[in-house]
Amino acid sequence: MSELTRTQGSDDTFAGLDYDNSGLALADICRSIAEVVRVGPDKPRRVRVALGAASVEVEWEGDRGPAALVGPAPQEGTGAAGGAGEQILEGHRECAPLVGTFYAAPAPGAPPFVQPGDHVEKGQQLGIIEAMKLMNPLEATRPGRVVEVLVGDGEPVEYGEPLVLLDPDPAADGTDEGA
Amino acid sequence: MGFGTVLVANRGEIAIRVMRTCRELGIRTVAVHSTADQDSSHVRAADAAVQIGPGAPRKSYLSAPAVIEAALRTGADAVHPGYGFLSEDPDFAEICAENGLTFIGPRPEVLAKLGDKAVARALMTDAGLPVLPGSPGTVDSAAEASDLASRIGYPLIIKAAAGGGGRGMTVVRHAADLLPAYRQTRATAQAVFGDNRVYMERYCDSARHIEVQVLADGHGTVLHLGERDCSVQRRHQKLVEESPGPGLHPQLRSAMARAAVRGARAIGYTGAGTFEFLVHDEGFSFMEMNCRIQVEHPVTEAVYGVDLVREQIRVASGEALRMTQEDLVPRGVAVECRVNAEDPARDFAPAPGTLEEFVPPGGPFVRVDTHGRAGWKVPPQYDSLLAKVVCWAPERDEALDRMDRALAEFRIAGPGVHTTIPLLREIVADPVFRAGRHITSFLDTRD
Repeated sequence: MSELTRTQGSDDTFAGLDYDNSGLALADICRSIAEVVRVGPDKPRRVRVALGAASVEVEWEGDRGPAALVGPAPQEGTGAAGGAGEQILEGHRECAPLVGTFYAAPAPGAPPFVQPGDHVEKGQQLGIIEAMKLMNPLEATRPGRVVEVLVGDGEPVEYGEPLVLLDPDPAADGTDEGA
Repeated sequence: MGFGTVLVANRGEIAIRVMRTCRELGIRTVAVHSTADQDSSHVRAADAAVQIGPGAPRKSYLSAPAVIEAALRTGADAVHPGYGFLSEDPDFAEICAENGLTFIGPRPEVLAKLGDKAVARALMTDAGLPVLPGSPGTVDSAAEASDLASRIGYPLIIKAAAGGGGRGMTVVRHAADLLPAYRQTRATAQAVFGDNRVYMERYCDSARHIEVQVLADGHGTVLHLGERDCSVQRRHQKLVEESPGPGLHPQLRSAMARAAVRGARAIGYTGAGTFEFLVHDEGFSFMEMNCRIQVEHPVTEAVYGVDLVREQIRVASGEALRMTQEDLVPRGVAVECRVNAEDPARDFAPAPGTLEEFVPPGGPFVRVDTHGRAGWKVPPQYDSLLAKVVCWAPERDEALDRMDRALAEFRIAGPGVHTTIPLLREIVADPVFRAGRHITSFLDTRD
């Protein structure tokens, strides 16, 4: 890529998410971009991230048009969302509530608690974090569809580390946009 | 057997100080940190770091399970607890052992005995150490308090059995204040330490706080490294410390050192520890023992030429001390000033903020232990200690002149950032302090 711009606006549009601070959110976005760059057809020509307005722009050679991804792109983004070739992934990350070892399945060899594409309810178990020989369930804090389990089975995790990416359901009580 | 990896279960300047010695010993270091300390210097100083919890100490630096998990997953053999946090927690020391980790400090049962200040007082009395007139154990009823108070006399001090670090104590000057103070101290002790037991002692207005450093291995050797005078205190919080204690009679000095060695031997102490004494009316009394490395340990290191953390680590790994009491000869005078992020204009309330400018002093015989750096935002959740400035010189006056020079050099600035530096410079220049005639009430009674 030829350019990477990081801008951090004053409004914390990520305040509603379970991030400790906007810096962590920005780090997450950058990680997602790196992922897009990795799996994309070729290297992007330009990447722009703006945290305040929560927009992400990625331009590829051959000008296929800007693609927006990750993060709740509020207001301005939704108008263009119907455009062809655009992909919007609303991400909610379930993070480790304590330091320990992550297990994706209830027992060695058993099928995992969840797989990408599964729909989970609030409170449904997503995995286990073992700390001090105690098995602590990792539960979904909101209903949604599992996009990705971000860490491997048996991997050590730190406090606050994102473990499962959910595409959350539109909130029934109308506090979220959508519905 | 030496350690391959040591996890430092602390933050700030002490975490960095411990890591430095580990590095010199060829030991790999692991830092633990809260989300509020992601960007802190101790995280950068370590070979590896684990985020163990949110900013609240109870859920991070005080969480034994989180620290143990971090130690196990990083392959640590030992845990150095620094001071504060888990450093004197017998349960934590026990859990370390259960998980195959060496706790760098005394054995859990020793920590449990000395952590209860009423038990410690009784044990040291049995070992022949002088104590102030007081309750034989804890005082568990108001009637008992009244009865004991009339025998101890006033002024007296009510202290939390689980207390320490200058918290959970109340001075009572008149019989009429006794019961309200008794109830209040119990309530405070319950709230702060989760244990409402208190004990009582005679209180000395005109006293000096003198403490003796000891070092003991698991092979029967107990050594002392002289004393430190920590009489410059603001509401029981130490601000300036020095070694040796100025103007102490040589006989008193050696009597205190012998008492400390005898006390450490009596309880089977191992590692570095400190006996706190009150010096009054030409005599001295045992107050409490601190089972950890102290904030003010660098002044002892400066006059004895001994790295106390290195000795702690060696003793914990099972080695015998390589020095004898005869090897330990103090040279010159060392003084430490605590630079805290506090606002003197707002009654020394913590004044955290972003350190836009942070330039510590240097030059000959000046040591600065700090985790501060320019551009770093001091998190509000923790201790206000920002830096320790330690100066050495052959004579006390030269050491104090050097200290004034170093404090004047220290540049710390940022929006909302205030420090104790102006107050420290006043103290260093104060004629009473210069003459070494200061007592524990020096700061609180000074205009």
